[in-house]
Amino acid sequence: MTNNKLPTPPRWPDRLLEWFLSPDMKEDVQGDLHEFYQKRITQVSKRQADKDYWRAALQYLTPYFFSNQSSNHNSTISLSPIMLRNYLKIAWRNLMLRKAYTAINILGLAIGLASCLLIVLFIQHELSYDKYHAKADRTFRMTISGALGGKEIKSAHASVPAGPALAREIPGVEAFTRLYHDGTFIVKNATESFKEERVVFPDSNLFEVFSVPLLKGNPKTVLREPNTMVITETIATKYFGDSDPIGKTLTLGEKDVYRITGVCKDVPSNTHFHYNIFASINGIKLREKWLASGAYTYIVLRDGYSLEKLNAAMPAIVDKYVAPEIQEFLGITLAEFKKRGDAFGFEFQPIKDIHLTSHLDGEIEANSDTKYVYIFSAIALFILLIACINFMNLSTASSANRAKEVGVRKVLGSLQGQLIGQFLSESVLITFMALSVALVIVAIALPYFNDLSGKSFEVSVLIKGMMIPFILTACLFIGLLAGSYPAFFLSAFKPVSVLKGKINAGFKSSWLRSTLVTTQFVVSIGMIISTMVVYRQLNYIQNKKVGFDKEQILVLHDTYVLGQQLNTLKNEIKQLSQVANATMAGYIPAGASNGAADGFELANGSDHPITYRDQTYYIDDDYLPTLGIGLAAGRNFSRNVRSDTAAILINEAAAKEFGFRNPIGQRLTSVGDSPASKRTFTIIGVVKDFHFESIHNRIAPLVMYYGADTYQMAIRVRTSDIPGLLDILEQKWKSHTDNPFSYSFLNDRFNKTYQSEQRTGQLFSVFASLTIIISCLGLFGLAMFTAQQRTKEIGVRKVLGASVMSIIVLMSKDFIRLILIAILIVSPIAWYIMNQWLQDFAYRVELSWWIFAVAGLLAIIVALLTVSFQSIKAALMNPIKSLKSE
Amino acid sequence: MKRTFLGEFEEVVLLVIAGCTEEAYGVTIWERLQQQTGRAITMSAVHATLYRLEEKGYLASELGGATAERGGRRKRFFALTATGSKALLEIQEMRANLWQEIPAGKLQVIIK
Repeated sequence: MTNNKLPTPPRWPDRLLEWFLSPDMKEDVQGDLHEFYQKRITQVSKRQADKDYWRAALQYLTPYFFSNQSSNHNSTISLSPIMLRNYLKIAWRNLMLRKAYTAINILGLAIGLASCLLIVLFIQHELSYDKYHAKADRTFRMTISGALGGKEIKSAHASVPAGPALAREIPGVEAFTRLYHDGTFIVKNATESFKEERVVFPDSNLFEVFSVPLLKGNPKTVLREPNTMVITETIATKYFGDSDPIGKTLTLGEKDVYRITGVCKDVPSNTHFHYNIFASINGIKLREKWLASGAYTYIVLRDGYSLEKLNAAMPAIVDKYVAPEIQEFLGITLAEFKKRGDAFGFEFQPIKDIHLTSHLDGEIEANSDTKYVYIFSAIALFILLIACINFMNLSTASSANRAKEVGVRKVLGSLQGQLIGQFLSESVLITFMALSVALVIVAIALPYFNDLSGKSFEVSVLIKGMMIPFILTACLFIGLLAGSYPAFFLSAFKPVSVLKGKINAGFKSSWLRSTLVTTQFVVSIGMIISTMVVYRQLNYIQNKKVGFDKEQILVLHDTYVLGQQLNTLKNEIKQLSQVANATMAGYIPAGASNGAADGFELANGSDHPITYRDQTYYIDDDYLPTLGIGLAAGRNFSRNVRSDTAAILINEAAAKEFGFRNPIGQRLTSVGDSPASKRTFTIIGVVKDFHFESIHNRIAPLVMYYGADTYQMAIRVRTSDIPGLLDILEQKWKSHTDNPFSYSFLNDRFNKTYQSEQRTGQLFSVFASLTIIISCLGLFGLAMFTAQQRTKEIGVRKVLGASVMSIIVLMSKDFIRLILIAILIVSPIAWYIMNQWLQDFAYRVELSWWIFAVAGLLAIIVALLTVSFQSIKAALMNPIKSLKSE
Repeated sequence: MKRTFLGEFEEVVLLVIAGCTEEAYGVTIWERLQQQTGRAITMSAVHATLYRLEEKGYLASELGGATAERGGRRKRFFALTATGSKALLEIQEMRANLWQEIPAGKLQVIIK
């Protein structure tokens, strides 16, 4: 009673000490402080006493009072080494006691972790592109951005003279380097010749701008002289074996002999180009026009000179250099050019962004997309989430079994903190066991993953740099996260009610378990739907009528090396009984092809005609029949009509673009690189639209000139004995030339065009299956526990006459309900996302409702199969067994 | 053989406890220390020293005597152990020896 009358000291210092003081000192120290306060308050004002109390209390905040554990006073601190050892021991015993549960948990987590690791590797690599260059922050690629005749022009190269002009005119430009690509080459050393596809002609400062290390040669001088070249290690070994290549020569094409002045390391995989032969640009005949497409141009800015300043300086450059050429080619001033809606300018891309964001015409290599980085990050997170959910669900579901243990522990004096520690150490232990399994999985799966993703990782990437600490921290985190819910949930049991037998707490929180299971199925069904849509779209592309007949067509490569003898060979081939037709097909709608574009104006148009920039093909008279391209109107080129050299064919899209109602006989003037190419052509036919570009794009206007391009030859085959035909062709080839004989099939080339979509499809299906597998593992575990818990109930039901079927239904219907809810939730989300994905394709499949239905049905079937094992087992159990013991 | 050396403050604390007629605990020890030395001493310093002396074996303690003004908390009563008494006596003896060795008349000069 007197207690209440006593003034109380301030509460905060008390609380502070309560937390801070080591437990064995708490009582007497605080008692002494209180006593001191009571005395003090009789001597001075309450305020002063409070202040003194504060001061006295704060003086206890020293390490001595915090951590001191005198040997006389025993204390139990949850995180002492002895307790930790005990946690781990108990955790291990618990895990070993319930092997099925442990196996399900570890397997699920391991699969999740392994997929996550692989995806992290993939994403890390994607994000690392071109970041290793010493000047990466200041290096930009110059690109052309303009519009002509209402069509956008976005080209990855810049004009050939643009680089030097910028270096000359703009003081902020420290250096420029150009990569001039001139197609593939047959490369010869003294004895052998190979076809090389990655040959490029760079400026001599290439190795100063890009940090590709030179193994031999001086980076400042290697490419300075004409006819010198630098080759990569791989090429050096290919042509010269172990001997030193410096000073030796290689022949590019027929006669250009290049002396090797340097050897560089292979260009790192995370670079947006992978050339392996760098030949000096000096001495190469370049198209010195601004309006002609030119070379990949890279600009290094000086430190402190911003991109904005450079962009601001560009209009003046365009005025000075491009305007005269517009006048020259189009006969109008730059102002008029702009007024009629056309445009011509330059843009600059940071090189670090090229791989993920650049999708211009004429990219060096097909670039990836930020979109896929996001998609795969999301998938990684989802898979991890599903695996964690499994863990939580199984732990809470099994709580009934652990409740007694918790009760007894609490009665014997365990604190909640200690129980939490124990459960967390269990989950961390499981995570690390799963990690070791996951690492094995990754090591085994890496080659397959490389195939799938188009990367070339080695197992050693796992132990490189920050990977190990990253993985360990991540695992610890996952373990704590996955273990946190069960830990807090289980440790909060009231010992009295638990030991009395009220262990319902496990069931009561079933709404949370339901939510988690639903989440799992939302993700899994979403993945199934996405996979189905991706595959349907791929299937659609592959089977879409492309406007040409891609089956039974063989393409011979590099036929230009035959020179004069090519016609003889072509005629010989046409004579073969196994061959229906043959044509020179340098321009071809799938795989390696030449590409060209010209400006066109209507010949009898107004004074200010619109200039259209359209793709062009050079074909011979056999082209259309060989490739099976139909004519919509007019006729094909003919060898017998002399005037056909000034004739052109256009496709239906071009007819529409030019606005012709009756295109035959109309005339077009070409606006080419030079005044000499300003010629007028008569349209003699209109070909039916065919997909000469990727199906991502709508079919563009196309103009076809008469004149064979000898780069490669297309042969329509009419035999089933392809190997036999190939033997004959190779013999014929060898009789004309020593160059390597190589060929491909048009449909293979066509399918390869959609490789990135195919990869996406495959990756999706793999990860979709994984999410399903992990979810089902969890479901299996849950079903196991439900069956266990309801053993008695089932026994009673059977005694009262329930059929096996009704019990199976009883056991399964809860799960089915969750899946139905999941379908409802996921359908609109998946619909939205896949619709976005499909927007990338100009021609695409419809998202029909049955995809969702099938995906849902699939999930239900898989889930039923998983659950049924347990439920049938439970239903078939003899009730005598389940009821006899109590 | 091996002697644990006592610091000056520790020695004074031991002496104060030795001199207590009633049972000694934190607050009483702290008050008497201040009276005897005339210094301002913080209570945390006293507590730290008491615990340390207990660890070293010079003091023993037991809990008891909760009062209302302590918020119902018990006191920790400290008492000298045999080791503690022995240590004090040894120090006294050593001091006495040292005093005897001082030549007569020298101390006054130094004090001046």
